[in-house]
Amino acid sequence: MKVHTSSKLRKEFIKKWVKGLQICCSLKKNMDILERKKKIKLCADIALASTKNETTLWSIALISDAKKDDENKILVDNLLGPESRFKPRMTNRQMIACHKRVRSKKILKKSRHVCQKMKKMGPPKSNLAAYIAKTLVKRRTQVLKRLVPGGESMDEFSLIKEALDYVLSLRIQVDVMRTLANANEVLNQSDSKIID
Amino acid sequence: MQHCPYTTMNIPGNTVVTSGTDVSVFERQQARMKWQQQQQEGLFNGNDHQFRGLVEVKPDPGLQYGWPDFSDGCQGQAIPSLMEDHNLKKRKAHEDQKQKVVLKENSVKEKKIKGCSEENSAETSSKEKPKAVEGPKQEYIHVRARRGQATDSHSLAERVRREKISERMKYLQDLVPGCNKITGKAGMLDEIINYVQSLQKQVEFLSMKLATLQPRLDFDIDSLIMKEMFEVPAVAYSAEVANSAYFQVNSLLEMGNNPIDAMLRRSIGGPVSIPETFVVSSCFNQMQPGVTWDGDLHNLYRMEIQQESSTIPFQPHKFTGLYEGSNLKMEL
Repeated sequence: MKVHTSSKLRKEFIKKWVKGLQICCSLKKNMDILERKKKIKLCADIALASTKNETTLWSIALISDAKKDDENKILVDNLLGPESRFKPRMTNRQMIACHKRVRSKKILKKSRHVCQKMKKMGPPKSNLAAYIAKTLVKRRTQVLKRLVPGGESMDEFSLIKEALDYVLSLRIQVDVMRTLANANEVLNQSDSKIID
Repeated sequence: MQHCPYTTMNIPGNTVVTSGTDVSVFERQQARMKWQQQQQEGLFNGNDHQFRGLVEVKPDPGLQYGWPDFSDGCQGQAIPSLMEDHNLKKRKAHEDQKQKVVLKENSVKEKKIKGCSEENSAETSSKEKPKAVEGPKQEYIHVRARRGQATDSHSLAERVRREKISERMKYLQDLVPGCNKITGKAGMLDEIINYVQSLQKQVEFLSMKLATLQPRLDFDIDSLIMKEMFEVPAVAYSAEVANSAYFQVNSLLEMGNNPIDAMLRRSIGGPVSIPETFVVSSCFNQMQPGVTWDGDLHNLYRMEIQQESSTIPFQPHKFTGLYEGSNLKMEL
């Protein structure tokens, strides 16, 4: 069963990816290698996110991030079609305000915690292991939030769920890209053989 | 690790995270659930009616082997929250450890739970000695405190949250390779982070590689071919050709490079027309999935099908080397 669903997803991914690349190519010819790489990756990411059809937070975040860049916006819109519901969640101003709010909340929270900890300095030894463990977990969830697209605005619980989904999709992406790259290599070699 | 070890599903699960990668996950779950169920039926005769209702829901997780649960969101399957004896013991051991209850987190969770209230009303966790405690502020989750446990709403909510997280962690454990020995939350998170990072790096690397391999972004013959394959059923082909093309797609996607190699082999050794199509197509600058393609591809497919049985993996050592390399990366 897993094979069927994943192969369906893979097909959809490939389709969208190739379509995006075609659009890229028609928009601008003669890109240098770095630009090409960026476009390839961008198209792959967008294709991956669009296979989810807006059901997961990370896919929504990925696409709205891509749309923030003006030059990519055209590409994305073309790729996803006029029915694209992926409107950027907020305008830039709103995003800035949101970030400010989030940051000030964090500062407030942190100071409150620090105060509480100072008060609670009672039995530090017995709680030391717990404290260390908690800090570790906290640090790592922060890192994970940075890795998963759109992770900053998720609570810990949905973060894990999104990470799971993201991992599965990434696997598909890597798989498809790898087969394509290998096939390309083979083709190039045989091409040179034909010509020689 | 002080953190509560992964308890088996005990929770008003809003969503079931099914990895879908391993059928064994479900088998394990089912086995676990059956075991639990047997235990309970022996112990909690009084709660029979509750369990009856819950048990009916149980086979659902086992039936789904795909991914669909991620899209289910809050109306996922209600995992019957079954009580385990070993859970009790663990709880008693950890009863002294109280996590700092962050009110904010609670409220966030409550909001979420309220949003998913449809499934939760059916959930109860059974108890040995019932304490008449209602669940926390939300009237949707009925969580009874177990014997010897703190009964205030905060810790109950905390416990529910913890158990949900540990349940998710378990699924992740099955998903991320090499995570079977790690049982702590921090270690698991570490592994997940490493895995996500390595996958992302692979994507970067592969896109760079593809960029080098393609002088122009008009992309490859095989992607063109793949695209053609997708469009072939839409074009007015006969049913047999469409089917064969469909099979081609599947085989291409699942077998990786071999069909392409086979095609190449034909192109090198086959009739004159076939190499021409390759050379011609490699010079294509524009996307022209036009009429000229169809006939050639049609021929290609026919030849492919006829000679598919005799495909020999082309340069197998090379590919395995590549795969091994990337597998190594994955296992890091």
